Amino acid sequence: MVLTRRYKDLGTDLKGLYKDIKKELQQDKDLSIISETHGSINDVPFNSIIAARASVPRFITGTLREVSVTITGVPDDWLLEVHTGIWFGNLVLPSAGGFLIAGPVGAVAGAGTTMVFAREYGRKLKNRIKELVKKRSDKAYSEEKVETFID
Amino acid sequence: MPFVRRYKDMNTDLEALYKDIAKELQNEKELNIGKELKGDVNGVPFMSVTAHRDTIPKLVTGTLREVTVTITGEKNDYLIEMHTGAWFSNLALPYMGATILVGPLAGLAAAGATGLMAAQYGRKLKAKIKELVKKYSKAEYSDEKVETFTE
Repeated sequence: MVLTRRYKDLGTDLKGLYKDIKKELQQDKDLSIISETHGSINDVPFNSIIAARASVPRFITGTLREVSVTITGVPDDWLLEVHTGIWFGNLVLPSAGGFLIAGPVGAVAGAGTTMVFAREYGRKLKNRIKELVKKRSDKAYSEEKVETFID
Repeated sequence: MPFVRRYKDMNTDLEALYKDIAKELQNEKELNIGKELKGDVNGVPFMSVTAHRDTIPKLVTGTLREVTVTITGEKNDYLIEMHTGAWFSNLALPYMGATILVGPLAGLAAAGATGLMAAQYGRKLKAKIKELVKKYSKAEYSDEKVETFTE
């Protein structure tokens, strides 16, 4: 899942927001932070963090594999990208709630409860970031100031 | 871009295949291995490596952010998943070769000609993995033994 949002006219403290998001990722015991990238691209500030799953999961298909969050821009015009990677997500048959594979590798698929974990994690993080954007912005948040890009 | 293939009746040395794939990622100077997971899931061997970009890209849209390769299964029935993550790929307009952004953020986008581009890298890695599967398999490679899963 990739979510990209552009925020305008919010006067957001982007450093403060990045720190809060990092703390959010650190608090999840299933994740460990593997990379942080800070700098600028053509003079536009750029901050990115990647957290990966810390241990081998009990079930694979649909389990959260890694999360990356990137913030780039200036307080009144910036982009947020949230990517949540899922192991073997394309082996899932959503309509049947089952999997395409059988045989020895069928066992790695397992029950769908862990898939909920990955999807729920993405949803939870998205909502948490919305809260943090409001907290770190000087101006009032409104839907008109936010544009969402999808694949 | 997630890419999953199932290989059957290939009698592949999966440990050696994994090591060569990890070496391939290490050989890419812009990547750094951030996480390796090895173990088993419901008694099925599982190996996963995540490499991420270590430096700020010159241009952001479509640039490789991270790569994950996972191998799970047994020598005669296994899955390989390759994920290549690209920054802000959903801001690109493929048919125009351009991007959506204007204003202060336009500097981030620009043309996709420079840097380590995710699509290009994914293609190269996919071809290399095919080579390595052949190298480490005792049985002859044929398309009938391989199934590709897409999103």
